[in-house]
Amino acid sequence: MSDTKYLETHEWYIISENTLTVGISDFAQGELGDIVFVTLPEVGQEFSKGDAIVEVEATKTVAEAYAPMDCVITEVNLNLETEPEFINNDPVGDGWMVKAEIKVMDDSGMSYQEYESFIS
Amino acid sequence: MSDIKKTSLHDFHKSINAKMIDFAGWSMPFSYEGTLKEHNYVRESAGYFDVSHMGRLRLNYSQIEEINYLICSDLKNISNTKALYSIFTSEDGTAIDDVIFWKFEDDLILICNASNTNKIKTHLDINSINYEDLTMSTDLIAVQGKNAIELINTFMSIPDKFSTQKENHIIYARTGYTGEDGVEVMLDNKDTMDFINKLESNGIKACGLGSRDTLRLEASLPLYGFELTDEITPVEAGLKWTITNKDDYLGKEVIDEQIISRDHKHLKRFKLNAKQIARTGTICRSDGVEGIVTSGNISPILGYPIGYVLFQSNPSDDLVEFDIRGNLVEGNLLYKRFLS
Repeated sequence: MSDTKYLETHEWYIISENTLTVGISDFAQGELGDIVFVTLPEVGQEFSKGDAIVEVEATKTVAEAYAPMDCVITEVNLNLETEPEFINNDPVGDGWMVKAEIKVMDDSGMSYQEYESFIS
Repeated sequence: MSDIKKTSLHDFHKSINAKMIDFAGWSMPFSYEGTLKEHNYVRESAGYFDVSHMGRLRLNYSQIEEINYLICSDLKNISNTKALYSIFTSEDGTAIDDVIFWKFEDDLILICNASNTNKIKTHLDINSINYEDLTMSTDLIAVQGKNAIELINTFMSIPDKFSTQKENHIIYARTGYTGEDGVEVMLDNKDTMDFINKLESNGIKACGLGSRDTLRLEASLPLYGFELTDEITPVEAGLKWTITNKDDYLGKEVIDEQIISRDHKHLKRFKLNAKQIARTGTICRSDGVEGIVTSGNISPILGYPIGYVLFQSNPSDDLVEFDIRGNLVEGNLLYKRFLS
């Protein structure tokens, strides 16, 4: 399994062989405030890098999470449908959003240290 | 870049890890522990809000006739210890600002929206009404919640609902903007931190503007700039109950005409039969009448999205279709308040 990488649009991803796990960063959840609803994609849906895959409704605003690379959804975190607060409480753990099969590998995300200096 | 204003509690907010936002030219706490948590503090126990960004002007009682001419409510004939919610109306009957007056024997305190303080001052200047601007020399703290009164009556006397009080250099009223009981307290800057310490030691929690907004929406209270603007009259905003001024006042002709004709815009409450939030600016349709959402958010207590929508005319159906980022979502207009 690779290290957790981050995008400038505040998603994180982990690559494990040909599978990608995606969520949003702790910084992003903090900026959004309380998350009250998440619209997840369907299993089998295809996305290109940069497409919106998840819509996150918070009390403050609505935001989207984008695909880090071309991929096909293989699993969505159904727990988020009843408990979207997982994203606030554990954004890089239980708050994961989707798993996807990688179509075009693009591991160009930032390391945690790089992301930290990006957001500060 | 203009200088952002800070309340006297700014350093205190930062010391307790508030998330600060810029609001109407002020750096204000948006939340401390999270909007939903703070919302629930107020609904279940009690919270306090720094609302010192709101304008505070001291007016002379001797000019009450002139002031009464500028608002749609009867300030003149209510008793001298009352607090009054009212609206400054323009010649066209539209809202210049919605405000609170605290009436005393010798003076009046006018509390206006932070975004409108300069507009109100100019309006008063034009109409030769004198005022002393207390906004920077004082703070305004709202203590609100189901248990607010029983938690504060150990250290301050409590006026009746919608009544005012002056006690030990502090001026306050039993009013609020959350739908819960409580007081709004004006203090000299030097006294504010002592007061905050008393609130904290009685278990009252700091709450930010985020929860103030979800609380006021859930309590069916309008926010200037959204439900009320200088293009919307009190009649259109569903605030006919504020129109109690029996004398002549600015905009009276238009307002009286609207009350009779019902030919005007209509602000309505709605709920959505989905989880998505129809936010400010969302377009909707009911029976061919187009509307635009003025405020929308989740109701933490009800558990579904609610909001206000402004229609160009009165829709005959209560079924509404909202276009939320390209998806059509059904909702219903409500004829009662969100919370009973």
